[in-house]
Amino acid sequence: MAASSMPRRAAGTVVHRATILFFLAFAVFPFYWMVVTSFKQNADLYVGATNVKHNPFIFNLPPTLDHLRILFGQTLYLTWLRNTLFVGVIVIAITLLLAVPAGYSLARLTGRWGERLSIGIFLTYLVPATLLFIPFSRLVSLLGLQNSLWSLVMIYPTFTVPFCTWLLMGFFKGLPKEIEESAMVDGCSRSGAIWRIVLPLAVPGLLTVVIFTLTLVIQEFVYSLTFISSVERMTVSVGVPVALVRGDVYYWGSLMAACLVTSVPIAIVYNFFLDRFIAGFTVGAIK
Amino acid sequence: MSTTTVAAAPVLHPGQTIRRADRRLGVLMLAPALLYITLLVAVPFLLALFLSLTNSSAGSLQFSFVGLQNFQNVVASPVFRRSLRNTFVFTFVSQLAVMVLGNILARALMRPFFGKTVARFVILMPWAAPISLATLGWLWIFDSTFSVINWLLKVLGWLGPGQWYYWLGDPTLGMVAIITIHVWRMLPFSTVILLAGLTAIPNEVREASAIDGAGTLARIFQVEIPMMRPILTVAVLFGVVFTFTDMSVVYLLTRGGPFNSTHVLASLAFQDGVLGGDVGRGAAVAIFLVPVLVVLAVLMLRSSRRAEVV
Amino acid sequence: MQTRRQFVVRGTKLVAIGAAAAATGPTIFVRDAKADTTLKILQWSHFVPAYDKWFDPWAKEWGAKRGINVTVDHVGFADVVPRATAEVAAQSGHDVHMFLGLASAFEEHVIDLADVVANLEKKYGKQVELAHRSTYNPFTKKQFALSDMWVPDPGNYHKEVWSKIGMENGPSTYDDLVKAAPEIKKVAPQMQIPIGIGLSQDIDSNMAVRNILWCHGGSIQDKDGNVVLNSPETLRALEYTRKLFSVGMTQAVLSWNAASNNQAFNAQETAYILNSISAYRTAQDNKLPVIPNYFFTPALKGPTGIQLASEHVMSGYVVWKFSKSQEAAKEFLVALVDASRDSMLGSKLYNFPSFYGAAAEPNTPANRKQESGAAWIAAQCNKDPFGSTPPDKLGLLAKSLPWSTNLGYPGFANPAEGEIFDTYVLTDMFAKAATGALSPKDAMAEASTRAKQIFDKWRQKKMVPGGGKDK
Repeated sequence: MAASSMPRRAAGTVVHRATILFFLAFAVFPFYWMVVTSFKQNADLYVGATNVKHNPFIFNLPPTLDHLRILFGQTLYLTWLRNTLFVGVIVIAITLLLAVPAGYSLARLTGRWGERLSIGIFLTYLVPATLLFIPFSRLVSLLGLQNSLWSLVMIYPTFTVPFCTWLLMGFFKGLPKEIEESAMVDGCSRSGAIWRIVLPLAVPGLLTVVIFTLTLVIQEFVYSLTFISSVERMTVSVGVPVALVRGDVYYWGSLMAACLVTSVPIAIVYNFFLDRFIAGFTVGAIK
Repeated sequence: MSTTTVAAAPVLHPGQTIRRADRRLGVLMLAPALLYITLLVAVPFLLALFLSLTNSSAGSLQFSFVGLQNFQNVVASPVFRRSLRNTFVFTFVSQLAVMVLGNILARALMRPFFGKTVARFVILMPWAAPISLATLGWLWIFDSTFSVINWLLKVLGWLGPGQWYYWLGDPTLGMVAIITIHVWRMLPFSTVILLAGLTAIPNEVREASAIDGAGTLARIFQVEIPMMRPILTVAVLFGVVFTFTDMSVVYLLTRGGPFNSTHVLASLAFQDGVLGGDVGRGAAVAIFLVPVLVVLAVLMLRSSRRAEVV
Repeated sequence: MQTRRQFVVRGTKLVAIGAAAAATGPTIFVRDAKADTTLKILQWSHFVPAYDKWFDPWAKEWGAKRGINVTVDHVGFADVVPRATAEVAAQSGHDVHMFLGLASAFEEHVIDLADVVANLEKKYGKQVELAHRSTYNPFTKKQFALSDMWVPDPGNYHKEVWSKIGMENGPSTYDDLVKAAPEIKKVAPQMQIPIGIGLSQDIDSNMAVRNILWCHGGSIQDKDGNVVLNSPETLRALEYTRKLFSVGMTQAVLSWNAASNNQAFNAQETAYILNSISAYRTAQDNKLPVIPNYFFTPALKGPTGIQLASEHVMSGYVVWKFSKSQEAAKEFLVALVDASRDSMLGSKLYNFPSFYGAAAEPNTPANRKQESGAAWIAAQCNKDPFGSTPPDKLGLLAKSLPWSTNLGYPGFANPAEGEIFDTYVLTDMFAKAATGALSPKDAMAEASTRAKQIFDKWRQKKMVPGGGKDK
């Protein structure tokens, strides 16, 4: 078997490499184009694709920093990043505060009716934003939160809490009961056991919630478009199109630069936590 | 109430009453989340449901009751029927593609190779990019006047002299473009989940089936995939919900065009309800999303729990 | 939640107060010293960024001089309506909201501005007719918005290409387009789309299909608000578009957004587009190679000689009923019209004043103001202060009033027309007929049904007339 598997293994490696390259190309191809466009002069960009002599993937005219200058100098891009992060961190905190106890409670302390309730909670995740946006407007104004980032802080957990509760419920179920039980036999109260034993074990699950919530907050733009009107309070998803898509003029270079500058740090963070995220998500979701 | 022995820790069987203190704690811990969800999701949802039975317009909550008129008009509209169909087609096709491609990619990522960390980072980027900005990039890439894809195809000689792909101007190609973006965006996430599922399969199982003489494909389909069922369910469920309710890709790429042929329910609800000002009608369209999602979700939740027992 | 009757009563009261105030002369607005210390304005991100750079500081300064704290927020033009929807649902937000020609759907939520218009007409003479028809509802007799500017929609053509086919002044009729398209293909085979008229779900296409419809004698409504879409004239317009599409366009135009025709023309991939001068200014700013060949023509004539084009943009400023700074808002709107010259120059001649008289030389007697204003406008267009070569390239814009009209022609702009505009009923009809997805008859029937549905809905709310004579 060894003799015949040598060329087989070589062929397998080639296939393997080719596969990886294919997926890399598929994932990265728009980003490559974004990088080039961020530095291209507009006269180099506005050339039709039927012109085979003009290669859109390279610089036909010298590159320029103008688009970056517009993005960082003439728009409030950094402010928007700050706002997005601000909302993200608080929403993560709220989600953890609401979903962790709820998840544990449904996993351990509520029995049969808890199971049924958990499905109901999960189903609220399915209600789409286009349906809720009008009633939310009324609510936001009743509370005097219009044009404030706090309106987003209040609304965003509606799509993070249900899913994370369901996720954490599964996760807690996956942790062996014996550990808590033995701690309680030793005289620990239930809350003490949770705090001292269960939570440290739950770190992968908590990390999952953090990453998942952060993703959804950064992607969201319907609610933030609706409730925020001042440019300096916008989040990245809304501020960038508002400032850089002016009716019939798109500032492509700056738009693409904005997309890149936002995506790269996030991808780095995800990559860093990837293994723990996987662990948390899968354990939580299976059980 | 529960007895303890020195030797074994107490085990609560399903059906056995939970200690009263525990139950109180349970309610206390559940209450905040439940309250929040009820106040901020259930109540607005019911209000939106009510609005769909009215002729409320331009955001005003003043209305008159029109019963099922909105639903009748909507169901009779060919645009609505098309968008209902599109919603299913996009979701089904893109999720199928994501599952197949995700499996391949996950397997490829299991083996060590040079530059694996960087590759993982790059492959994750589509998921990290804010969807509104990434779709704008794809807008240029697919714009038939400037499309870099067309340019590439032309340079490679795949496009004849009169041929040209009008990605966003042709209903079918427009759907292809939208599905491509969905696949591009969801692939990293689903791959990550599948990777977890694959690594969870013990090596012995894989080797055992190889010894039994099973070919690779048979092994994949008859051994590994069944074992990965709970994981697959999660990945598919999440992907389906995300794609089914997504409005941004369609809205930003084609605005539902050409001539309303690539709309999905979410984007049509937005166009009619928010842009057109007919709130009742928009709500009626959006409501069609809910029962389908509920059915899908319940089916999948049940199937995943059954798989677990095995 | 107030009943309709209460809304109407409130509105009537305001009109009464306004009328009384207007009758008392120049110092017409009753100012309560304590009230109106803030003014929040929501405005689009102007196509020409230089305008916002003028507007924002100007508005703040205006407020500062009067002890009013003015804030200006900007929003993308496509988000003007969703934002209004949200603020009305919330019953709070800004005081002044700028619409792009389609404020009528929100008529019930805004105050009547009859007094403002009366004041301005006293100072400057009448506003242009198309502005009047876009901001006044003759059925409910409500002046729901104030227009300070409008934007003409000329044809933009590529001089070199058209000269090569023997029409160096560009096309003058719609039939010219059909005749020229195959010629253009021959002399400029590298151009992807000879005639760049959009048939997609966006603002440019909405304007273009209306131009075609009107010039062929058709329209959505008649003067009295009856839906007359179902007509032989409409069929003629559809057949024309089908012909034009087959000889001069490609499927690309079915998915264009507002920027697409600009981009195509600036990349020299099309020889004719219908657009305001925003694309031209972009080309100038980026020193694109198309500039020496970038020229303009007036609206095209239909087969019976009708020459009409919609305004490309029509500002409609509303003041919300829930605003707590209504008086300051009204004063602001007056000041905005007063500043019409600055507005036109600040926008690089994109904005045209709705009150021509506001651009008059100072100290002109009131009855000569419109003339004087028109003369100043013509002077700017004939000698472009922003570097056109030749300097009178934009001269035709000064003569655009006779062929420019409003959405809702031949009637007034109303909420039903607005909803038809916003849900792309007309562009769908034209696109389906042009591509053969539906026969022109079927496309027309489908659109007509939807149009009648929409009109009937607004008639039930008593905001739109007609109904007896729908075709």
